[in-house]
Amino acid sequence: MYDAIVIGSGMSGGIAAKELCERGLKVLVIERGRKIEHGVDYNDSQMPWELPNNNQIPEDELARDYAIQRQCYAVNHATKQFWVKDSEHPYTTPEGKPFSWIRGYHLGGRSIMWGRQSYRLSEMDFAANAKDGHGVDWPIRYNDLAPWYDHIEKFVGVAGSKEGLPQLPDGDFIPPFEMNDGEKLFKAGVEAKFAGRKVIIGRNANLSVAQPQHEELGRQSCQNRSICERGCSLGANYSSLSAALPAAERTGNLTIVTDAIVHSLVQDPKTGKITQVRVIDANTKVGKTYTAKVFFLNASAIPSAHILLNSRNEANPNGLCNKSDQVGRNLMDHMYALTTAGILPQGPKDSYYKGRRPTGIYIPRFRNVTEDADGYVRGYGYQGGVVRMGGKPNAGMPGFGAEMKASARKLGPWLVYISGFGEMLPDPNNRVTLHSARKDKWGLPILHIDCAMGANESKMAKQILADGKAMVEAAGGMIVAQATEPGPPGLGIHEMGTARMGRDPMTSVFNGLNQAHEASNLFCTDGAVMTSSGCQNPSLTYMALTARAADTAVKMLKEGAL
Amino acid sequence: MNMDDMINLNRRSMMQQALLLIGATAVPVDMALAAKAPRKRFLVPAQYQLLSALADTIVPVTDTPGALAAGVPAKIDGMLSRWASAETRTKVTGALGRLNAAALAKSKKGFAAMTAAERKALLTDHDKAALKSVPPPPGAPKVSFFTPISYVVDPGYLALKGLIINLYYGSEIGSTKELIYEHSPGPYQPSIKATEATRPWASSGPI
Repeated sequence: MYDAIVIGSGMSGGIAAKELCERGLKVLVIERGRKIEHGVDYNDSQMPWELPNNNQIPEDELARDYAIQRQCYAVNHATKQFWVKDSEHPYTTPEGKPFSWIRGYHLGGRSIMWGRQSYRLSEMDFAANAKDGHGVDWPIRYNDLAPWYDHIEKFVGVAGSKEGLPQLPDGDFIPPFEMNDGEKLFKAGVEAKFAGRKVIIGRNANLSVAQPQHEELGRQSCQNRSICERGCSLGANYSSLSAALPAAERTGNLTIVTDAIVHSLVQDPKTGKITQVRVIDANTKVGKTYTAKVFFLNASAIPSAHILLNSRNEANPNGLCNKSDQVGRNLMDHMYALTTAGILPQGPKDSYYKGRRPTGIYIPRFRNVTEDADGYVRGYGYQGGVVRMGGKPNAGMPGFGAEMKASARKLGPWLVYISGFGEMLPDPNNRVTLHSARKDKWGLPILHIDCAMGANESKMAKQILADGKAMVEAAGGMIVAQATEPGPPGLGIHEMGTARMGRDPMTSVFNGLNQAHEASNLFCTDGAVMTSSGCQNPSLTYMALTARAADTAVKMLKEGAL
Repeated sequence: MNMDDMINLNRRSMMQQALLLIGATAVPVDMALAAKAPRKRFLVPAQYQLLSALADTIVPVTDTPGALAAGVPAKIDGMLSRWASAETRTKVTGALGRLNAAALAKSKKGFAAMTAAERKALLTDHDKAALKSVPPPPGAPKVSFFTPISYVVDPGYLALKGLIINLYYGSEIGSTKELIYEHSPGPYQPSIKATEATRPWASSGPI
């Protein structure tokens, strides 16, 4: 019997383990994937030329085992160990409605390969559903979460600049990474032309300057290698393995089991409390149960919904905690890859930079903030960067030999690229369900994912591209390439919404304390609980919600309220 | 000597050393086993020579070493064995064949037998013609950020040239002698003075 069980060890599970352990609870973390050891299992010391096949996965293997994962920019030989084989973890989608579900099943989950962009949601985001009527109202507001954002930022280490923007609140930052001269030129051009728009340095969970609380966990300052997704043995980027799990471990209160796939939760029909977790050993397929007083669901948005749905029983044929019929519904992602690229002819020819900085620039949302939108609600931000071209030539351009070498070793023009991340509305028809017939190799029903962008997103996508073009041109740029449509849903890798928070048990699954309406000792703090998506990268919010809920759960436990 | 040969040499000498250490000097060294050590090539010798001649023409020795010194032909051969799909293999070997056919048609000599100047002259035309854009074939994916495919006259040649360039610029020579590379650059320096002589970093900044 543990005090608490945390299901999942990634972005939010790691924080749940840390916060619960630090409050004195004996905690069991259940991870479905294999054990990964920080540092030892990373490929970050390998030089580019030491990686076989120029760091590419063999073509037949890629097609056979990574048909979906291969769409993610970070999939290569050096990171292959961190992505699921789609061939082993199937799901279905309706004909013509693809959903790109990008996953990693191992200790630390996607916190190892994540993009590290860390932004707070704002009051505007928490009030959005109530304001325009989409979805249900968030049961919390910005002020409920603000101290927990502070708490997490301090622990994680988020580099960023204070900007005083209401739509993107400042945080407890470590020193920001700096802009290069091309980015400063772009910033000046955009801000001169558009009064309500700002170009800022990306806020990222990489230690620009490691602080004592980071160093005491063995983490070091970032060396600007930009191979973060291989796993950083310096611990300079935040991951569960570099920070949260070691912090939990040093309390002496942590137990971890890996290769343990959660089958279902067991609820006591009399008290409504969760009593057990049923797991299947990933290797032997032998079943086992674990008991605890409190349960944290941190398997990530889609798997957390999967677990609730698969915990169905006679009294709850649609799944546990699902009287609202909202489990699995309202699946959201961010519109992704709406990229505009251009050359900046006025970029300074006598300036360069040193280091592969692990963040880019960010343009906070301005539509429906300082500027009206073209017929849609909500908005978008852009991530991007400005780099100097040059180096490896493009094989598709005619030319070779000494002339090609000579031209490739010259510094080229400055290239700006900005890519919109658009908010997706909660739509109950975007949902995951248990497949009626197919099971995975552990006997669990596979998921059917039915999700598409709607009319609001289509209109927004058009303006993301138009604004992108206008901003590149405002900085004197010439457009060289532009996307025409967003990537398939899922590819933003920000899945959320499948067991939302809300005030009303009839329309939501978890309350404002992240406690299940129908099971007082069950908390969920991963992407599943997001009532709306904002347009900001969401991991920081999951972590802040987790720390807040852990604090709540422990207080309730001590008061005997659970 | 390329990397493969060096590894094989080391393997042979290590084996002999190991036999000495365990007092096996009286046992005849199994040279047949040692001779097997060089990995079997994917390409037949004539194709391999042709590939070497092409790699040397695309990335020749200048004031820095070229593709041969960087071991590009052996790396491509290895990728054809271990990495390429059947489709890619056919594309790439087909492109080699077409290049050789063009050489034979022009001068009755295979590409590998030509002088450096002859190769350069032939490749100038061949490269331009092979990389000319064509409309996508019916049913082919539309070019986009997700399918950054170039539709050209000879996609096999594009793939082959891409392998040569990628493997050269990704090699230790290409990254550190032709361009500059530091695995751990240290603190980010946002503005450093660039001159005509400043070379680009082998790997660019944030994605």
